[in-house]
Amino acid sequence: MDSKQFEQLLEKYWNCETSLEEEKQLREYFRGEVSGNLKETADLFRYFETQQEQAVVGSDFDAVVKKKIKQQQPKGKSVSMIFNVARIAAGVLVVVTATYFVRQEVRKAYPPEIVDTYSDPKLALEETKKALMMISKGFNKAQKEAGKIKAFNDAEEKLHKQGKNEETI
Amino acid sequence: MNLEMFETQVLPTKNKLYRFAFRLLGNSEEAQDVVQDVFIKLWNGRDQLAEVQNMEAWCMRITKNLSLDRLRARQRRSTDSINHGFEIRHEDLTPHERTEIHENMQQINHMIAALPEKQRQVIHLRDIEGYSYNEICEILELDMNQVKVNLFRARSAVREKLVKMNAYGL
Repeated sequence: MDSKQFEQLLEKYWNCETSLEEEKQLREYFRGEVSGNLKETADLFRYFETQQEQAVVGSDFDAVVKKKIKQQQPKGKSVSMIFNVARIAAGVLVVVTATYFVRQEVRKAYPPEIVDTYSDPKLALEETKKALMMISKGFNKAQKEAGKIKAFNDAEEKLHKQGKNEETI
Repeated sequence: MNLEMFETQVLPTKNKLYRFAFRLLGNSEEAQDVVQDVFIKLWNGRDQLAEVQNMEAWCMRITKNLSLDRLRARQRRSTDSINHGFEIRHEDLTPHERTEIHENMQQINHMIAALPEKQRQVIHLRDIEGYSYNEICEILELDMNQVKVNLFRARSAVREKLVKMNAYGL
């Protein structure tokens, strides 16, 4: 490659019009000695080449990676299974807790005293009779007391009438 | 994918992945961690790999994504300048390598490290790794136009600095 061709190629490179093959040619060219004004450009291409040699430090890198991926294998599966089980368990827990609280609320709204306590209708009838008898006893007692008040009223009326008769005489 | 395929097709890409991660992160240890993470991720998702046509480009794409994740996490953590992580650290090199690297080479290294992220990625993939434009599109998830524009800008910036180096000996 003569210097004119080379300059054209380099210009193409700066304009991003070179193919990979042409870029390879440039790198090869710059491996040799170059004139003063292209020294820095040569350094750039040499820099690109030295960078290609950079490699991972540590010869046991492959072994470390292989060990790590072997550790990953079972762990990944069990984690996802535990996760699924935990999701289902959480769902069930929510439902159970909700049911418990709803039951509690329902019990509060309908206190047990109101709920019928007698399962045997005969026993219930007896109990009702007893209660009614107690009430009627109370009424009778009250009526007796009220009879006394009536005697007072009669006496008062008699006195009133007598008073009136005396006025007319 | 079985272990044998993994060893023959995936593991040999390690140095390319490492160089790309190193270019993005500027730290050898972190770059190696990223490569390990890429391999573990690929292995765990090996059932879906049947559709992948270019395994190497796929590996490079995951390397890019994981490296950028790390960069973002690092930027969130540190209050240092954003450019801090982009510097290629010379303490990572052996004394022998350090003497080998010419002063100009170091300046070129800094030049490329100072390029914007996309330009740095494109120039690395094209000029160091020698990927075709199509492969670069696949790796960086960009269209052809964006790849070419970024490469043009990167090369122009490098050229401009080389001219300055030549003229002023900077």
